[in-house]
Amino acid sequence: MNGTVASRDWPRPGVPLIDGIDKVTGHARFTADLDPCGALVGRIFRSPVSHGDIVRLDVSRARDLEGVVAVVTGDDCPRTYGVLPVAMNEHPLACGKVRYRGEPVAAVAAVDAETAERALALIELEMRELPAHYTADSARAAGAALVHDDRPGNLERAVHHVFGDPEAGFAAADLVREVRIDCAEVNHAQIEPHAALADYDPATGQLTMQSVSQVTFYLHMMLAHCLQMDESRIRVIKPFVGGGFGARVEVLNFEIVTALLARAAQGKVLMQLTREENFLTHRARPQTAIRLRLGMRRDGRMTACECEVVQRGGAYAGYGIVTILYAGALLHGLYAIPAVKYDGYRIYTNLPPCGAMRGHGGVNTRHAFEVLLDRMARELELDPFAVRRMNLLSAPTRTLNELLVNSYGLPECLDRVERASGWRERIGRLPRGRGIGMACSHYVSGAAKPIHRTGEPHAVVNLKLDWDGGVTALTGAPDIGQGSSTMIAITVAETLDLPLERIRVIAADSAITPKDNGAYSSRITFMVGNAAIDAAQRLKDILSEVAARKLGVRREDVYTAAGMFLARGSDATAVSFEEVAKAALVGEGTLTIKGTFTCPPESQGGKHKGGAVGATMGFSYVAQVVEASVDEDTGQVTVHQVWAAIDCGHAINPLAVTGQVEGAVWMGMGQALSEETCYLDGLPAHASLLEYRVPTIIESPPIDVQIVESHDPLGPFGAKEASEGALASFAPALVAAVANAIGIDLDELPATPDRVVEALIARRRRARLKSAQESAP
Amino acid sequence: MHQDQRPPSRKRLVRLCLNGRWREDAVPDHLLLVNYLRETVGLTGTKTGCDGGECGACMVLVDSVPMPACITLAVRCEGRSIETIEGLSSGGSLHRLQRAFHEQLGTQCGFCTPGMIMSAAALLRRNARPTDGEIREALAGNLCRCTGYVKIVESVRAAVDDAP
Amino acid sequence: MTAAAGAFRVVEPADVAAATAAHAGEPGSRYLGGGTDLLVNLRRGLGTPALLIDLRGIAELDGLACMAGGARIGAGVTLARIAADPEFRARYPALCEAAAAVAGPAHRNVATVAGNLCLDTRCIYYNQSEWWRGANAYCLKYRGDVCHVAPQGRHCHAAFCGDLAPALLVLGASIEVAGRAGRRRMPLAELYRDDGLAHLTLAADELLVAAELPADPPPSAYAKLRVRGSVDFPLAGVAVALRAEEGRLSILRVALTGTNSRPFLLDGTDNLLGRPLDATVLRHLDRLVQKQVHPMRTTLLQSNYRRVAAAALARHLAARLAATPEAAR
Ligand SMILES: Cc1cc2nc3c(=O)[nH]c(=O)nc-3n(C[C@H](O)[C@H](O)[C@H](O)COP(=O)(O)OP(=O)(O)OC[C@H]3O[C@@H](n4cnc5c(N)ncnc54)[C@H](O)[C@@H]3O)c2cc1C
Ligand code: SF4
Ligand code: FES
Ligand code: FES
Repeated sequence: MNGTVASRDWPRPGVPLIDGIDKVTGHARFTADLDPCGALVGRIFRSPVSHGDIVRLDVSRARDLEGVVAVVTGDDCPRTYGVLPVAMNEHPLACGKVRYRGEPVAAVAAVDAETAERALALIELEMRELPAHYTADSARAAGAALVHDDRPGNLERAVHHVFGDPEAGFAAADLVREVRIDCAEVNHAQIEPHAALADYDPATGQLTMQSVSQVTFYLHMMLAHCLQMDESRIRVIKPFVGGGFGARVEVLNFEIVTALLARAAQGKVLMQLTREENFLTHRARPQTAIRLRLGMRRDGRMTACECEVVQRGGAYAGYGIVTILYAGALLHGLYAIPAVKYDGYRIYTNLPPCGAMRGHGGVNTRHAFEVLLDRMARELELDPFAVRRMNLLSAPTRTLNELLVNSYGLPECLDRVERASGWRERIGRLPRGRGIGMACSHYVSGAAKPIHRTGEPHAVVNLKLDWDGGVTALTGAPDIGQGSSTMIAITVAETLDLPLERIRVIAADSAITPKDNGAYSSRITFMVGNAAIDAAQRLKDILSEVAARKLGVRREDVYTAAGMFLARGSDATAVSFEEVAKAALVGEGTLTIKGTFTCPPESQGGKHKGGAVGATMGFSYVAQVVEASVDEDTGQVTVHQVWAAIDCGHAINPLAVTGQVEGAVWMGMGQALSEETCYLDGLPAHASLLEYRVPTIIESPPIDVQIVESHDPLGPFGAKEASEGALASFAPALVAAVANAIGIDLDELPATPDRVVEALIARRRRARLKSAQESAP
Repeated sequence: MHQDQRPPSRKRLVRLCLNGRWREDAVPDHLLLVNYLRETVGLTGTKTGCDGGECGACMVLVDSVPMPACITLAVRCEGRSIETIEGLSSGGSLHRLQRAFHEQLGTQCGFCTPGMIMSAAALLRRNARPTDGEIREALAGNLCRCTGYVKIVESVRAAVDDAP
Repeated sequence: MTAAAGAFRVVEPADVAAATAAHAGEPGSRYLGGGTDLLVNLRRGLGTPALLIDLRGIAELDGLACMAGGARIGAGVTLARIAADPEFRARYPALCEAAAAVAGPAHRNVATVAGNLCLDTRCIYYNQSEWWRGANAYCLKYRGDVCHVAPQGRHCHAAFCGDLAPALLVLGASIEVAGRAGRRRMPLAELYRDDGLAHLTLAADELLVAAELPADPPPSAYAKLRVRGSVDFPLAGVAVALRAEEGRLSILRVALTGTNSRPFLLDGTDNLLGRPLDATVLRHLDRLVQKQVHPMRTTLLQSNYRRVAAAALARHLAARLAATPEAAR
């Protein structure tokens, strides 16, 4: 384990967020709250059609409108951008062709919102419409119109991976079963709508960008690329960010558009998207069709897995290639399976582009897998816990696809939720209409292989110690509400044995903080936490040296406790941190110490194509039990209680871990019960918080969170990720609970009341048919 | 522009008591309270999370009663008392709900928090000892995407138990 | 900046006569209750009135009284107030249950009875932004000339989704309406017609003054189908009022909302009177509901579901009420 921490075991309370007070007082400034002084209002003109060539785009009348300062179109940015270097196929403003309804085509900056709105109405767009495809099937059909000319069959990426010998595995199985599962598209629906404030100073040629980004470094890079500016002329600052969940892990078109407008207007532009525009920007979890086959021995041991996944990707690449690779890679790493075959297809369609969302890539395949496991357990009359226990990994190990598993707390997670939920006493003994179900899941602690291979460390943290005796941690890691800055403060404070209040964290301002790849794949705790510990350790070494001189003892005999440096053996001699800090600055001035973290090569995945995706230093593990009841007349599913146990290695801040797990479980519940997108000829009918049904507090259940600490050898203080892993096991546990309650197996997500009633009607129909056949002579 | 082309003023004076202080502003009839607060006055603690009435991020108290400021007209607040998150802490100390939301992690990203706390504040004012069910009922129009509401209920409960 | 709701003026008449006079002076104007429906719609560009007539200052609309001879509910009374009123809760539970089930708690603090009864009809092709509807060539209900739900017809199927109406219908409510031409009274049912485009029978200048309920109401209850436990409009809402004498039904009224362009009293329940509320009667009731509701594809949830589940709700409520001691006498 990296770093040492006073061995305080769970349960310990944890600490509130270091920026929490600003949030509860309303002082926290989110992007839309920044100083609007002198800012123009930016608005985007969006395509009314799903697919077509731009025949004529005339913005002259908009430009001539009194109060309009700038209008930009695709001509202002001929370059494409995108998050993956191999798939940068998107224009911030459409060039020549539009591929989904709502795609940005032009934008205006005006003195106020009404003028900007009026200017949009004056833009003239003439299109030659092309056939549009709204389902993966239709886009894959022979003769389908191509969304991108260079992608025949509208195939963005196909993945074919075989590990082990699946045929032999199935042959050795006592039971082979297959499911087809369909998961609807969902959206992040973070409560803060997208916004950006760009300030271009024509005198100096400097651009200052403040945005809701989770990836300020990528934003910086893409702004330089699209605006063809020198990187050093751009400064990107992250204000408070109101959640992300993946919505902001790639640079978004409106961010570049805002910068283009600011430059064209030679000034400051504030862009605030509506909720509808947030749904149009999308980048979330794709609609996914899964065919999954498992082989199992009578005792519950798995022999083989075969999985085919088709993702409806939307109009642009975004993270698509990574998503379809994750969907296969994360079949591994949770259980021991001797053979796994995976075929994944990511399809372009004329819909808003999908992207990364909490549990990126893994959620829907995990759902199908756990659902099938549950059904097969039932068929073999095995307990679902027992089946999981038959298939455990033993750490340390490498999976078939060469993922590193150094710590594995799943067995304890299973024990904990089994006990907490009273599983053994209750399963099979609940009244009709009420049921319990369980499932497991896992997630990576940071993608070990970065998207851009620059040779730099995976994370850098700077610590500044100045005359005031305060320690300032400078990090590029964007805190978006997940509490990463608090985590950094804790790791530094614990390493230096200082009270938390002495640590300040400044996050994500490119002029001040070191580069960081951003808040995604649950990388910050593992990577940035390790870098912070490294920096703090180096600072401590320097200070211990100084303290030794002051105490007149050898360096090895100096230790720290509660803000003091002490000499071993002689309790009487001690100097305070402040005194040591002052002494350390003599002849040196302000100290700036750098800490880094680089993922070890063995964590960076296999050599096979796409092998980098899924590769990580360690996985979080989760077991979850859901108790629910179903009203068979109205189809309403009510969740009564959830028990979730997570192995997060070590809980650096137990309060934050439970908060993250509750949030993840609950977001899984949204996907399982009520959330889905629905397009009507490419128009999002769900584009509001009324039609896109984020659960309210009323139907949100109590969630019991248990923390399991497996102490990962590479993790910061042994910690691993805690924010994503718990999401994926909710839906399968819920579906299992529904099966347990009313004997219905749901193959579709979400389990909305109409789908439940539909399934009940179908069962009645089948029963009638069967009895009719039986009574027939 | 010539003098005679100047459009007629569409504004009227509104007098209201904002966070305990009376003030007067000229506003157009159609101005939404949320825009009045955020833009006319410059108090940005009240948030906008949706396109109208769906999320509760803009919740403020009008004569002690919670109302979504994004579907309330500023002119309708004439003579009334408006309270926003900025007015909740007094004399430099946090309101007990603010302290509880901070300490119990009832806030993660913080975007729903002002609205959530305002709804909760109204509840505690009319019901000093709410049950968990009553807490949930009072917050049923405030969406949060981070917390799963577990720690939000706990925060309100802690604030209740913390009552003087 | 949050999108404005248009550039209207607002007037605050002091009495009903002044309100209707204001309307006469600006024929395209709209009456404003709590604004929780109207302002949301205006923000989406659904209508561009030059004037809103704020009814909140009119004292006459604010009365709420439960008397021996019945009850009178001012048009401007808020839903929160009704839902919490102990006398109404005791005598007209369906109404209070319906009021408490509308939107979220903050909406109910301002939302009015009249606003709820005069709620615009709803449809996924209609309750969308100006950009959205424009990209879809608008629709029959507003600015367009096709119905996307039933393109072959010339009829709008947008659904009436107010929660209060069915409760008031089963309780036998009548309403008082005022216009330039004077005042009139009519049964609540006559306020509505089954046309999503023009579902209210009010003249443009007419406003609702009050709803009145007869005394001695039968036991009643309201339930709505929705995906979430709060905020959501009803996918279907059902109110039932029922009384049984010596085990036989003497009153059975069922009304529905959310399924048709108007809320309506179920036809044919009289045929079930005089019988005990047994499985056969419940089956009949189920069939009656399924026959008379016409849910169309105006919501994201399937319309067949809304039909089947509305019938199930009606059965549940009837059975539940019949089992209460108050229902028998
Ligand atoms: C997120 C959200 C969820 C909602 N959920 C529900 C729900 O579950 N159930 C439900 O029923 N409603 C729901 N609503 C709609 C609305 O909040 C309620 O129906 C409310 O009761 C409307 O009343 P109001 O006073 O605010 O109406 P207003 O918006 O003021 O008016 C609505 C209509 O009635 C007219 N009107 C108002 N007063 C009069 C009068 N005296 N005479 C004649 N016409 C008049 C107006 O001109 C307008 O056309 C929801 C709204 C939102 C924003
Ligand atoms: S039912 Fe047809 S006409 Fe009516 S609102 Fe919907 S699409 Fe428009
Ligand atoms: S911003 Fe007012 S309810 Fe969403
Ligand atoms: S704390 Fe982020 S939305 Fe509630």
